[in-house]
Amino acid sequence: MVTIEKLTKFYGSNRAVNNISFTINDNEVLGFLGPNGAGKSTTMNMIAGYLPMSAGAVTINGIDISKEPVKAKKNIGYLPEIPPVYPDMRVREYLSFCAGLKRVPIAQRSKEVHRVEELLRITDVRSKLIKNLSKGYKQRVGFAQALLGDPKFLILDEPTVGLDPNQVLEVRQIITDLKKDHSVIFSSHILSEVSAVCDRVVIINKGDIKAIDTIENLERSFDGSIILHIKIKGDRTGANSIIGLTDGVKEISSIEAEGSDFYSFTVAVEGDADAVRSTLMAELLKNNIQIVEIFSEKPDLESVFVKLINQTSKKSTAEDLLAELTENSGEPAPELPENAPETTDDAPPEGDSDGGKESAE
Amino acid sequence: MLSIYKKELQSFFFTPFAYAITALFMFLFTYIFNVAIGDLTQSTLSFSFTEIFYDVTFYFIFLVPIMTMRTFADERKFGTEILLMTSPVSVLQIVLGKFLANITVFLFMLAGSALFPIVTAIHGEVIVGQLICAYIGFFLWGAMFIALGMLISSFTENSIIAAIVGEIVMFAFMFIDDFSQTGFISQFPLLQDILYAFAAQPKFSYFSQGFIRLSDIVFFISAIIVFLAWNYIVIEKRRWNRG
Repeated sequence: MVTIEKLTKFYGSNRAVNNISFTINDNEVLGFLGPNGAGKSTTMNMIAGYLPMSAGAVTINGIDISKEPVKAKKNIGYLPEIPPVYPDMRVREYLSFCAGLKRVPIAQRSKEVHRVEELLRITDVRSKLIKNLSKGYKQRVGFAQALLGDPKFLILDEPTVGLDPNQVLEVRQIITDLKKDHSVIFSSHILSEVSAVCDRVVIINKGDIKAIDTIENLERSFDGSIILHIKIKGDRTGANSIIGLTDGVKEISSIEAEGSDFYSFTVAVEGDADAVRSTLMAELLKNNIQIVEIFSEKPDLESVFVKLINQTSKKSTAEDLLAELTENSGEPAPELPENAPETTDDAPPEGDSDGGKESAE
Repeated sequence: MLSIYKKELQSFFFTPFAYAITALFMFLFTYIFNVAIGDLTQSTLSFSFTEIFYDVTFYFIFLVPIMTMRTFADERKFGTEILLMTSPVSVLQIVLGKFLANITVFLFMLAGSALFPIVTAIHGEVIVGQLICAYIGFFLWGAMFIALGMLISSFTENSIIAAIVGEIVMFAFMFIDDFSQTGFISQFPLLQDILYAFAAQPKFSYFSQGFIRLSDIVFFISAIIVFLAWNYIVIEKRRWNRG
């Protein structure tokens, strides 16, 4: 298990990562989400022991990384944003060097190198110079390096960037397989990927945690309106009034003509979407309006993400102002780190419902 | 540490690098050796390896920065520093591994230069004791400059800049000796003494004359330790400052 406690990083006076705390359980893939410049890579560099933290602690299987770095790093496999490869080395030379760095015993080294080569399907390029490899292969060589010595904790910073769709699927499969006996933290800004691979996600923006939850919970907590798409044939005005009058329909956001006699309605629905849909269908059929197509659009992680990133900024500025006020009034400084994680932990679900209502009105 | 040492050696010997730089070194040595032979006159049929070594040092300071320029600069440029720093090795091991690899290349070059005394011994006579002293002196002197070159390489991520700055610094370091003897500096005996204490050339010349003085050995070894420790600090400090 990996515990991140009150991790903070200052670059000069600029706070890149602000007091974040979370844990990565055994046999779990944790997604680490955030827009560019949110502090993802900084956080991962700190967890991996590359950057020292300004405050806070990272504990890997009970070993504090700033107190016993060498011991802690034995349990870490790290794939940074840019794969750390030497262009003038051959793949097998590079991997066997990395195996040595990671203290794989000499007798097992070539076996271990073979294992990761097979796993990432780079066996056929093992004798090539790394500088001659394509971006996708370099990425895979970097990934292979992280798996050497079978560390139990993997930090993957955007592992699928630069891969073709096929390879992306392969890498996802590898990560899913690794879950059996590893803990993985995996950053990305591709949301479909995160929802395909991760059990839980941590969303950060501007160094603050916006949410830590399972994907299902996040999607559920997002109680904005569900969108129904209805395509009908024929009587447009009739359909319009029926849809507009049905209970649970919040608004008709658009009507588009498709072809000569087809119209697409985009309808925002409140409450139980399934019930509203059946009523709508019944009403329309009763009035002899042909329904060509009807489907609902579920809120996905994408909208949750966008909402969390945008909406919380308001709230957090208020919090920041408060924090600054207490700071300036000479309150003891240690108060801050204790208060902040509580509020950030609780804020997202609350903020969610608030935000939802706001936009509903 | 061993794997870093091995990897560095590979990057020297699996590429033309070590061979090219050794060839250049041999070329310089040959040139100076031939000049020494050319200066032979009927009256004194002897020449001094001491003087050859002394001349070689002058050219050698242009080779050392080329050898050391990539040591840390390239790690930063390719982003591989992060690999080393997140592996279970300490910064000290990284610095030492790289230092030893550079020293190995240096020994390879020295081994090449042994050709000349051997040829001389076949056709004439060599004063072995003095030659060994000269080699010990040259080795310590070179090791110190290698440590200095590595330090300069850790300041930048551009290896060419590292080489140029290295050459300037080493040049300055070499001429502290002459500088401290100038009329202007002689006006301030204290300053002159301090400058002279830092001059590596006089200490090297004792070795090449066949004297092994403890104070000279201590000078070289402590200079190596200071440069390597400084190197260690630079790398650690940058992790903290990185912005």
